[in-house]
Amino acid sequence: MIGAALYLMSRSLVNATRRRLARLRQPKYLVGFAVGCLYVYWLVFRRSGGSALGPASSAAGEVTAVGVLAGLVVLNWIFGSAETPFNFSLAETDFLFTAPLTRRQVIDFKLLRSQLPLLISAALSALFLSGGHLGGLRPSRVIGLWLVYGTLQLHYGGMALLRASLAQHGVTGLRRRLGTLLLLGAVLGLAGWSLERQLPDLVAAFQRDAAQGYGALAHTLHSGLLGVLVWPLAALVAPLRAAGTPAFASSLPTALLVFAAHYVWVVRSTLAFEEGAVEHAAKVARRLEALRQGRSPSRAIRAPRSTRAIRPRLAATGAPGVAILWKNTIGATRDAGPRWLLLASVLVAGSAIVLSGGPMGVGGRDVLAVMLLALGAVALLLGPLSVRFDLRQDLEMLDVLKSYPLSGREVVSGEIAAPVALLGGVVWSCLIGVFVATVARRGDGLPPLGDRVALLLASLPATVAILGVLVVLQNAAVLLFPAWMSVGQGRAVGLEATGQRILMTAGSLVALVVTLVPAILVGGVGLAAAAAAGVRQGWAVALGTVSGSAVVALELGLAVHFLGRVFDRMEPGAGVGPGA
Amino acid sequence: MIEVRALTKVYGTVEAVRDLSFNVAPGEVLGLVGPNGAGKTTTLRSIVGIVRPTSGAISVGGHDVERQAVAAKRLLAFMPDEPHLFDYLTVEEHLRFTGRLYQVTDVDRRLPALLQELELSEKAGVLPGELSRGMKQKLVIACGLLHDPRALLLDEPLTGLDPAGIRRMKETIKQRAREGAAVVLSSHLLNLVEEVCTRVLIMQRGRKVALGTIEEILTERPDLRGRSLEEIFLTLTGA
Repeated sequence: MIGAALYLMSRSLVNATRRRLARLRQPKYLVGFAVGCLYVYWLVFRRSGGSALGPASSAAGEVTAVGVLAGLVVLNWIFGSAETPFNFSLAETDFLFTAPLTRRQVIDFKLLRSQLPLLISAALSALFLSGGHLGGLRPSRVIGLWLVYGTLQLHYGGMALLRASLAQHGVTGLRRRLGTLLLLGAVLGLAGWSLERQLPDLVAAFQRDAAQGYGALAHTLHSGLLGVLVWPLAALVAPLRAAGTPAFASSLPTALLVFAAHYVWVVRSTLAFEEGAVEHAAKVARRLEALRQGRSPSRAIRAPRSTRAIRPRLAATGAPGVAILWKNTIGATRDAGPRWLLLASVLVAGSAIVLSGGPMGVGGRDVLAVMLLALGAVALLLGPLSVRFDLRQDLEMLDVLKSYPLSGREVVSGEIAAPVALLGGVVWSCLIGVFVATVARRGDGLPPLGDRVALLLASLPATVAILGVLVVLQNAAVLLFPAWMSVGQGRAVGLEATGQRILMTAGSLVALVVTLVPAILVGGVGLAAAAAAGVRQGWAVALGTVSGSAVVALELGLAVHFLGRVFDRMEPGAGVGPGA
Repeated sequence: MIEVRALTKVYGTVEAVRDLSFNVAPGEVLGLVGPNGAGKTTTLRSIVGIVRPTSGAISVGGHDVERQAVAAKRLLAFMPDEPHLFDYLTVEEHLRFTGRLYQVTDVDRRLPALLQELELSEKAGVLPGELSRGMKQKLVIACGLLHDPRALLLDEPLTGLDPAGIRRMKETIKQRAREGAAVVLSSHLLNLVEEVCTRVLIMQRGRKVALGTIEEILTERPDLRGRSLEEIFLTLTGA
């Protein structure tokens, strides 16, 4: 069985590498590969400082490593799902599940196959953390990181199997989370209780010197009850921190013991695994359907969900392109019911209340305004990159879109309208919220209320114009360079794909600047003209902004017309899809 | 209703369809048969406007598929061999979405009957991820029939359907043809073609090998008389 796994790993690696190298004959992959190499070189080797892993052997290094590891474990305890972590590919399912193998052998096979990616990740991490010094690739550090990654993988797997087992016994949802939280609370309580007794000494040590403080903290982590709690974590990171070969050799057995304990734990969770495997097999059937349809399987395998979400009703008649907008809006808001809106509102308002009680002496409404402004800015600038309910997703179903009785222009405008409308709604809500939160404020550098009204009114079309440009650029990229963009939920990997993404980002930025220049010029002229005519400053800015937005709207119209023609000429298989 | 003239489609260096011509009149069911890679699906996708012909012309209801694409597509319904559905629209939402695209004004009236006919009433509120392969196929059929198309293009329409669904599908094809729709059916199931189609177009390597009723084909090839469609197909395609 081990031989079969090793054979599969080695042949897959060789064939994948051969395929990638063959692709480099195409200029688009060669250019992407070159840019990707430059990026990795810059990322890894640009720093000329000392080894970042150097201090890992120090007390500070140990405290940091243990802290990070503990954080990852706690996050998984709280947010991890019950879905089996052993994500078998379709081929693995077909070959392994039907082969005369025990469950343990299947797990071993899966674990063994995952070791190569983990080893590569460990080597890259060691190189990255060492600031590009090849000395960071010392086998002891790579093995140390490999052990940490492998054990974390097993821990996540074991926890998922435990959750699956609990769910199988009817302990689901809130009750399961409650149990986890209680356990976590008990562990943290014990840790806190242990630390509390040492706190005065620790504070005194940190006040004297940071190194002494970390030394005292590391000593505390190894003593008493806390030492027992932290021992598995400290033992696991010890080989990574080892300063030399003797230290590495002496720390390795205990780390391997932690790894082995996790392995035994996972293998013994066979019942839950069986359930997970059965569930997984059913999902694979659905995944197969999704893949056959050329779509990402991730959504198709979802469990049944409530459809009680915010859903606008689609009228039977009217512009057909609106149906595309409606479809994408449904897709984007399918999971976002009133519960989420309420939760978001409570979070923002609650944070504002808490922060307003802080030492800055600012009022709750001011904090709320700042938070809403930040939220709006994030939605405005990053939203178009992350909300992909447009051609970036639908191009996977190009054949379906092309069979509709719609012109390319109607399809493209319907596709880009959804993210613009959704993000515009968020941005506008934030802007109106900022205005309402500050409406009663006077002075303090704020413009008069009348000017604020003008600025608010001007910002509404301006933000939609910016959103429109950003979304159109993303959709233009996927239509014009489908082979360079990730379509659907799949994501191309490899140096060449990284390089292609960098080039696309750079190209989008240039296009954004080119698009905005005429708008800024016209807006500037409008502002100057309004100011010369004696219009109040706020209203003059508003007029300038609105005229600039009108220019952008015109540009967008032309762009959609052009992209519609591109869509009409496009054919399925013309480089559409990840890795195409 | 459907007119294909000298259709040629080339992908790179591969000639998928070459100089193909045929008509499908209202009420006629044309069976498109041929071995794998014969160009059947490319022909169907060219008629729908999914791919553009390299040369030649296609019209549906007198509308050129390339120049008057929207008008031509309004008359069409294409049911591919694999059901392509939007993961995040429910069964009912798929139908409403299709209704709006094709401007079906009485979608509210048609919906319950169509759902009932295709046994999807109980699944109206579920997402495609929860549907079986056959159910998905039924939903695609429902979406295709919602706007009463004048031309039906079916690519392996029976895949995934249960026996009752197969029988219903055959009846639907015949019924639509009786009502005046032009139907093109691509299938490897020669007994289905024999049962449902009024004419047969046999293709091989992108070219037309034979076109006509079984009787017309036998008139041209009297040596094949007395043989089944399967034997005729195998002989003509040299399989």
